[in-house]
Amino acid sequence: MRTPLRWVAWSALALAALGVLAAMGPDYALGQLAFVATFAIAGLGVVLIVGQAGQISLGQGALMALGAYAQCLLVRLGVPAPLALPFAMALGAGGGWLASLPARRLGGLYFAMSTLAFALIIEELLVRADGLTGGAAGLAVPAFAVGPLAADSAAREALVSLLVLALAWLACRHWVDSALGRAWRAIRADEAAAQSCAIDPARAKTSAFVAGGALSGLAGGLYAHWIGFLTPEQFGLMLSFELLMLAFIGGARHLAGALWGALVIVAIPQLIALARDLLPDALASTAGLEALLFGGVLVAVVLWRPQGIAGQR
Amino acid sequence: MLTFLQVLTSGIAIGCVYGLVALSFVLIYKATETISFMQGDLLMLGAFTVLALNAGVGLPLWLAIALGLGLMVGLGAGLERSVLRRALGQPHLTAVLLTFGLGLMMRGALTAVPAASHSMHRLGQPADEALRLGGLALAPAHLMVIGATLLVAGALALFFRHTRLGLALRACSEDPRAAALSGVPVAAMHTLAWALGAGLAAFAGLLLAPITFIHLNMGLIALKAFPAAVLGGMSSLSGALAAGVFLGVVEALAGLALPEGAKDMVPYLLLMGALLLFPNGLGSAAGRERAR
Repeated sequence: MRTPLRWVAWSALALAALGVLAAMGPDYALGQLAFVATFAIAGLGVVLIVGQAGQISLGQGALMALGAYAQCLLVRLGVPAPLALPFAMALGAGGGWLASLPARRLGGLYFAMSTLAFALIIEELLVRADGLTGGAAGLAVPAFAVGPLAADSAAREALVSLLVLALAWLACRHWVDSALGRAWRAIRADEAAAQSCAIDPARAKTSAFVAGGALSGLAGGLYAHWIGFLTPEQFGLMLSFELLMLAFIGGARHLAGALWGALVIVAIPQLIALARDLLPDALASTAGLEALLFGGVLVAVVLWRPQGIAGQR
Repeated sequence: MLTFLQVLTSGIAIGCVYGLVALSFVLIYKATETISFMQGDLLMLGAFTVLALNAGVGLPLWLAIALGLGLMVGLGAGLERSVLRRALGQPHLTAVLLTFGLGLMMRGALTAVPAASHSMHRLGQPADEALRLGGLALAPAHLMVIGATLLVAGALALFFRHTRLGLALRACSEDPRAAALSGVPVAAMHTLAWALGAGLAAFAGLLLAPITFIHLNMGLIALKAFPAAVLGGMSSLSGALAAGVFLGVVEALAGLALPEGAKDMVPYLLLMGALLLFPNGLGSAAGRERAR
């Protein structure tokens, strides 16, 4: 990003944060911060798959669902929340591996197809396995707690999310700078050339999906606690597309893109709610407004700033 | 046996709709290398446009259908000229997000129309009288869908084999550079592909209308077009149509034989299985060519 633009972005951000703090109170702001940090973790996963390895995933929402349900069920069984998180991650990673398996030698469009199919299967399974997941009726999630210590206030939720985000960020930094990250960028640039440098494209792609899946599972595990109640339709195709949109708006080539994107994705529904109060009643009551605006923002970003907020031209 | 035959016919009918949407998707993908995620929304918009012209404006049904399809073809061409053209040569993700966003805008705009969002609608006079052949009762809507799909498939086959325009579009899909060198206007062919794709999706919506009625979520059926396109090999128009019919039948039979809910997963399980085993589509799996 050019320097003046960076200043504009940061001051707009600071102004918006102050505005939210003044208008809604600190608890609301901190609650939203927890969501931004959680979405940013899932966004990092998308950045690895899309931005680093150059592949498409349309199933990240379903991987978040796997993490969320695993976390919820384990915590309900009495496992302390921080100990359940690795299992949520492992399930997300396994899901990422499985979703990408059929297309790992074909690449491109076929990843979109196989991850999409995987996501739709998971969504249906979550509804049908109602003995385990509560089906469409949903499942209540206990608070994020270790013994007597519980993240039951907005401030503590934000703190836990930021802490986990920091760890995830460090892990991503490490991966991106390692041989693995170089392999990802190599297959993104030119698969044949990468192969001639002894990089196995199928393996590199699979590892991107596994790492991205683990991050989605982790984000899902936290998300389950913050929303407190799980239903399968929260994790539908729309969530997968929101995560893709997040990475794209933020700038998929940079890890920082996940942060910017998460901020935008969490802010859009709030702005729409705000706009709805200001608009005349006849217009404000229409249900399609949100979809219309979401679509509009997406199209506008793709057309006019395809490199995202964090990208540079 | 009779139940079996009736389920089979309804499976073939719904499969025809899958097949037509898959056909429109593959047509666009082959000609422009663009993945369209808005075929379902085009399908729904087409059905609603005809409904609005018929019930709202009061045009006779045949005129409403002709005009509605014409408008959708125009919309497809207009979107290509203005917006979709920008996704050419970009990574697949750009097109996926762009078409998804456009689809979302169409759905949102339509949801904002109170008359559209509040109820399910019928198109024209329902013909509820079942056709009886001995003990077999067939829904006329299903037979109409199958007949119309056959007609469209025949017309498309003639168009692609025997008209200059159809041959040019095919040439452009096979090799745009060679087509351009032989004087085919490639950019115009892209517009044509999107126009045809939008028209076909809208036509599939019209066929779906007597089966599921017209409502805002009818576009979800287009998700089944992805497995159909993959099973058909992603590059064959007839393959996509055949795979759509195949999926419709398999789904109907799965509804008979498997527990509740399994029916909806079958197409996607088939998609993943097909990618693993026959990445070039079921058709080529029978042939000698195998994927790398």
